[in-house]
Amino acid sequence: MNRVFIVMLQVAGLYGIYLAGSWIQQALGLFIPGSVIGMLLLFVLLSLKIIPEWLLQQGVAFMIRHLPFFFIPATVGIISYAHVFKGKGMLLIVIGLFSTALVMAVSGRVTQMLVKRREEA
Amino acid sequence: MSTALLMMVLTIAIYLATLFVYRRHRRLYTTPVIVSTALIVIILLVFHLPYETYMTGGKWIDRLLGPAVVALAYPLYQFRDILKKMFVPIMTGTVIGAVVGIVSGLLLSKWAGFSDLIIHSIVPKSVTTPVAMSISESTGGVMPLTAVFVMIAGIGGLLIHPFVLKVSGLTHRIGRGVGMGSASHAIGTSASMERDTLEGSISTVAMVLSAVIVSIIAPGLTLLFM
Repeated sequence: MNRVFIVMLQVAGLYGIYLAGSWIQQALGLFIPGSVIGMLLLFVLLSLKIIPEWLLQQGVAFMIRHLPFFFIPATVGIISYAHVFKGKGMLLIVIGLFSTALVMAVSGRVTQMLVKRREEA
Repeated sequence: MSTALLMMVLTIAIYLATLFVYRRHRRLYTTPVIVSTALIVIILLVFHLPYETYMTGGKWIDRLLGPAVVALAYPLYQFRDILKKMFVPIMTGTVIGAVVGIVSGLLLSKWAGFSDLIIHSIVPKSVTTPVAMSISESTGGVMPLTAVFVMIAGIGGLLIHPFVLKVSGLTHRIGRGVGMGSASHAIGTSASMERDTLEGSISTVAMVLSAVIVSIIAPGLTLLFM
C-alpha cells in the first residue's frame, strides 16, 4: 500500500470518530462541539489501548501538519462582515486584539508562575 | 469544471504556494493561513464572487476541520504524564484567562458605546468557532459576527503573539501553550504546535478547557457586567 492511500484511510477513520462525536453531541444535547467530543473520545480510546498508536499515526501527522489549511474557508468568511468594521467599527478590531493580548499574557503568566513553583518543589 | 471544484482547487493551490514560500522565507507575514486568506479574499472581490459561491467548494475543506481537531488527541495522549502533573497550573491559568477575555471584551466594547448586539457577539471570541457561536446565540449575539470576532482573536493573536510572549516574559513552554490556547483557540494551537509539540499539546488542552469554561461562565458574567 502506498503512503497516500494509508493517509486517506486514516483520515477517513478520524472522520468517523468526528461523526461519532457529533452524534453524541446531538443525542445528549451538549454545547461542546462534536469535534471536541471526538477528540476526547479518541483520547480515551488511546488511553484504554483500544486503538493502538500506529493505527492512525500517519493520518494524524498529516492533519496536524496542515491544520492551518482547514481554517482557510472559515477565515475567508470575514469578507461578508467587512462593513461592520468601517469607521467607528475599526475600534472593535483594536478591542478584540487588546483583549486577546491580555488573555494571552495573563493566563500564560499565571500558569508559568505556578509551573515554576511546582518544578522547584 | 464546476464552481465548487474550482474553489477547492483554488484553495489548495494557493495554500500549497504560500506554504512553499513560507518554508523558504519563514516570517510572520508569510504565515500560510494569513496570506492564503488575503489572496482568496482579493480574488473573490476582484471577480465579484460572494462568499456563498466560494463556500460551495470551501465547505468540503471546512468539513475536514472536524477530523483535524480529533487528531489533536494524539499529542495529548503522548504528553499525558506532564498534563497530569501540571493540571492545576494549566487549569488555574485557563480559568483566569477565560474571565479576563470575557470581562475585557465586554467592558471595552460597552465603554466604547457599541450596541448590546455587538457586545454579546464579542464576549465569546476566545473560544473555537462552533462553541463561540452557540454561546453567542444563547446570550443574544449575532452568530456570524461572533465568527468574525473569533477570527480576530485567532488571526490577530497569531500576528501579535511574538510581541505579547516577549513583553510578558513568557518563556516556559507550558505557560506559552496556555496563553496561546486560551487567547487564540485552534489557530493559536496550530502556531504553538509548529514551534514545539509539548507547547502545542498544552495549547490544545487550554483550548478545550477554555471552550468548556467560557460556555459555563459567559452567561452569568454577561448579566453581571451589562
